[in-house]
Amino acid sequence: MTVTKLLIFLTLALAVPAVAQESDPQGDAKCGATPAVPPAEYAAWSSAQPVKAATSAESADAALLAPGKALDLALVPTPDVKYAVRPEHPGGSVSSGGLTAVRIDHAGTYRVGIDSGAWLDVVADGKSLESVGHGHGPACTGIRKMVDFRLEPGRYLLQIAGNGTPKIRVILAVVPGA
Amino acid sequence: MRRASIAALFGGMLFCAMTGIRLSAADSAQAGARVALGRRLFYDADLSADGTMACATCHEQKHGFAEGNRAHPGVTGEAGRRNVPGLANVGRRASLTWGDPTIRTLEAQALVPLLGTHPVEMGMLGKERELPRRLGANPCYRALFRAAFPDEKGVIDVATVTRALAAFQRTLVSASAPYDGLAKGALPAGRRVFAARCASCHSGPDLTDDRFHRVTDVQPADRGLGEITGKPADDGKFRTPSLRNVALSAPYFHDGASPTLAAAIERHEGLKLKPEEQKSALIFMELLTDHAFVTDARFAYPDGPCEVTPDGA
Repeated sequence: MTVTKLLIFLTLALAVPAVAQESDPQGDAKCGATPAVPPAEYAAWSSAQPVKAATSAESADAALLAPGKALDLALVPTPDVKYAVRPEHPGGSVSSGGLTAVRIDHAGTYRVGIDSGAWLDVVADGKSLESVGHGHGPACTGIRKMVDFRLEPGRYLLQIAGNGTPKIRVILAVVPGA
Repeated sequence: MRRASIAALFGGMLFCAMTGIRLSAADSAQAGARVALGRRLFYDADLSADGTMACATCHEQKHGFAEGNRAHPGVTGEAGRRNVPGLANVGRRASLTWGDPTIRTLEAQALVPLLGTHPVEMGMLGKERELPRRLGANPCYRALFRAAFPDEKGVIDVATVTRALAAFQRTLVSASAPYDGLAKGALPAGRRVFAARCASCHSGPDLTDDRFHRVTDVQPADRGLGEITGKPADDGKFRTPSLRNVALSAPYFHDGASPTLAAAIERHEGLKLKPEEQKSALIFMELLTDHAFVTDARFAYPDGPCEVTPDGA
């Protein structure tokens, strides 16, 4: 896929308001063993820092996800997670989940990318924010799902629910020009 | 059997009201427990191999229990094959699924996502014993299974799980759309278009004849009814979908390849609606949206306490 085609695809995929979070595991089935280099705005994807996910809002600052950074989160069993807001699609008892804190200094649209199809919520003041777009990640980079949120400066919680494995890679990217 | 709670009795009343079946008080309490159990199971991702998919992952109430995506990948990452159908009045369907007329009960249909391999959806084939292990660890489930299936001594297995799921789905009755309020004989323009051009298939109270038709080109990757019967003449035939809440359930067709209702109408080969006819038809289809149904708390995620006294409480 050329860069132009990729950008057109992402623009189309993310232009529609999110009504359901979508992921595309099949994109990776056609890829080689070595992941493709992600576009510049997702450069941090390749240098994710290992962090243990928080199990509650109170402990979330220990797992901070900053814009332009990526984390390799060690999740915990879903029954051990105390979500601030019940996820719309909570995982079963055998799934994994967790939380991170997010600090935003500049208003804008931010994109959360993950390497699985887990359910994502960004929570502020006890409420889950409505996402403004969703789509698949750039082909063959390992970014399977992306969800966009419009955020004002402040502290947020990122809730990850219903992951099929105890590990997840997550990136927070700024959406340029949005 | 533990004394059924008020909530379970209300569940029994819901079952009777939605299905029109009259039951004794004891049977009503049992039916109520079965509905309450089915609702909890419907929203529980422990019914999938890795705990990531519940029935409600694909069947979302806000979409009339359909989904906003073309198809949904299963737990192994295998791509979904067909678009998720809505569930309004699903208890009235003569057969279930897009292309298999032999699946005639909701109990049988539940096995398709649960254990099916074409494609793998929830991925529980070979992992059936996980159901009693996972669900049996929950005191509310143990009590609900006993209240719902006293003759089976509350056993937790594929059979009781699918029976409970079916009981809940039979309560998913939609009858409060503006369409339902139209006086008999009232024929707004869109309804006239439907009666004249679409009702040979989209007929009856749910706008489906429950039969199989070919309305677009045959795609070798999905032969529809032909895959079941083995008859080339059945290739490309799919069950007429109900149009209840259709405006909430884009995209359309068995493959989810029609992003809008207008595109779906235009995809029907041989159906050439004039622009004003199409406009009327689209307005009419908006009348099929039952906002009470898609916001009914009785069908939503069960956030409340256990409907019966949980074990150990």
